[in-house]
Amino acid sequence: DVIWLTIYVLVWPAVVAGILYVISRAFFAEWREARREGRDII
Amino acid sequence: MDLVRFDGVTTVLILVIFFGVMLYIVRTIAKKQEDADAYMTAGNSVGFGISAGSMTATWIWASSMYASATSGYLYGISGPIHYGLWGALMILFIYPFGRRIRSIAPKAHTLAEVLYVRHGRSSQLMLAVSNVVGSVISLTSNLIAGGVLIALLTPLGFTHGVVAIAVGLLVYTVWSGFRASVLTDFIQVVAMLGVVIVLIPALFFLAGFPEAFTTGAANLTPEQSNFFSSEAFLNQGAPYIAAVLAYAIGNQTIAQRLFAVREDLIRKTFVTATLGYGGTVIGMGMFGVLALYLGMEPLDGDPNNLIPQLAATYLPTALLIGFFVLIIGSLCSTGDSDLSALSSIAMADIYGQNIAGKEKADPRVMLLIGRLTMVAATAAALVLASMRLDILDLLVFVGALWGALVFPVIASFYWEKVTNAAFTTSVVAALALFIPVRFELVDLVGPLAYAVDVLAILGVGVIAGLMAFGFFGLRTGRIVGVVAAVVVTPFAFGAVHSYAVLSASLIAYSVSTLICFAMSVNSGRTFDFSVIRQRTGNFDEKEALEPREDPLPDP
Repeated sequence: DVIWLTIYVLVWPAVVAGILYVISRAFFAEWREARREGRDII
Repeated sequence: MDLVRFDGVTTVLILVIFFGVMLYIVRTIAKKQEDADAYMTAGNSVGFGISAGSMTATWIWASSMYASATSGYLYGISGPIHYGLWGALMILFIYPFGRRIRSIAPKAHTLAEVLYVRHGRSSQLMLAVSNVVGSVISLTSNLIAGGVLIALLTPLGFTHGVVAIAVGLLVYTVWSGFRASVLTDFIQVVAMLGVVIVLIPALFFLAGFPEAFTTGAANLTPEQSNFFSSEAFLNQGAPYIAAVLAYAIGNQTIAQRLFAVREDLIRKTFVTATLGYGGTVIGMGMFGVLALYLGMEPLDGDPNNLIPQLAATYLPTALLIGFFVLIIGSLCSTGDSDLSALSSIAMADIYGQNIAGKEKADPRVMLLIGRLTMVAATAAALVLASMRLDILDLLVFVGALWGALVFPVIASFYWEKVTNAAFTTSVVAALALFIPVRFELVDLVGPLAYAVDVLAILGVGVIAGLMAFGFFGLRTGRIVGVVAAVVVTPFAFGAVHSYAVLSASLIAYSVSTLICFAMSVNSGRTFDFSVIRQRTGNFDEKEALEPREDPLPDP
């Protein structure tokens, strides 16, 4: 039905938002650590 | 139908800003004298955030979003799942094997380089050539996708778009290689995922959903409305399940990241990238489902145009610019990874192992070869793109071919009895049987049809067994393989030979497995895997001890 179809379509951006949060948080932690140690992040 | 929404100046401005940002970011890490090993694998200790972002961005490319939407349009509501889920599992199922390979070759640069030590030149070149073909096709496909998008949405032509993307890619990747690719991948993935989060709900409501689910329901066949559609599974899902391990083994862009990420972060990185890729590609595939409900006819009859068509029809200019950046970002993040993959194969496999030899390889010559390879690969991709071949079909074909390599490659990293002769013979024999079945060069009737069915059923067992083996070990792998083959037999025997693509893909697995096993099991060969650690490793260690020139000043 319409409610399930709506959830089915809109759940994917929510999954993507969760992943974006996880990798961004990790990246900026690594970036701060690299700056503190005076080296490139990669 | 005219989809042009940007003028020429706006288009050029977007491209200049996009590539300008990439170049600025790369310049912050550029060194006057780059390290040859870092050019290929960034020092084997890349962190979780940047490597998960890079793996996600590399695996998401323009064609994957278009193909997912096509699957949704053709097969209905389950279509995007049958494209995106199996594509995501390619990332997931390779990581257990990646951890094993990293444990025996912690500082290698390519899978083929490890095979050179394990077996010798013929096995190495077999894998390296298949990697090169895959990456050149992928690079070409991405340039074509960029050219088509620019030709659709702007007054500029296809050729302008292809050349602009190719030059932009090369300029920001050529100096720092893999380091540039990975760092820009992170920026691109943040932009891409950010756009996806906004784009899907925006288009959903702007196109008149959820009401259109009711008004457009008549546009779907009962099969398209069925979440458990067997048609979607057999035509889209099953051939992709067969390709899960093949794409992962045959693709140097994955191997490069397996060697680059810090060893203890492999699982975390690849699980995260699996979810990131799956969410993005299945989500963008929903555009195809929405187009189906809306009763939309694809432009020029090509379902690949559905996503740009929906975007140009319903999105306001600001969101359309976001969509444009999403597609350009997706094809650049994959294209720069292809360039890095090709350069590492030329540096480590062709020059490092076969021309100069590991001990005599000059890191500076190696860097020059890597950069020249990127230039040559870009030129080759430009020529191929100008021919407007159906390049994606070619990639699907090559992906199926890679199935012949899966068992011999994986077994070589675990089982000391596998010989070079077993590896090469099994792969060549599998290809010799794959081709006539794939292209229906022989009539599959009578005993021949049953033989193909039996080999295909064994192929199912091999795939399931290898997947389980990676996670749970040999005993579980054997049990799962046998159970999978037994379970599919009632459905597949007498029927699967009529699906040429699927049965050929499965045969590639089973034939190479049977021959490789038969030639190895009594070979009496032993192999000390610790040798691989000694004979693969940094080419640039001598130089690392010498004082380096200062990095470029901060821009």
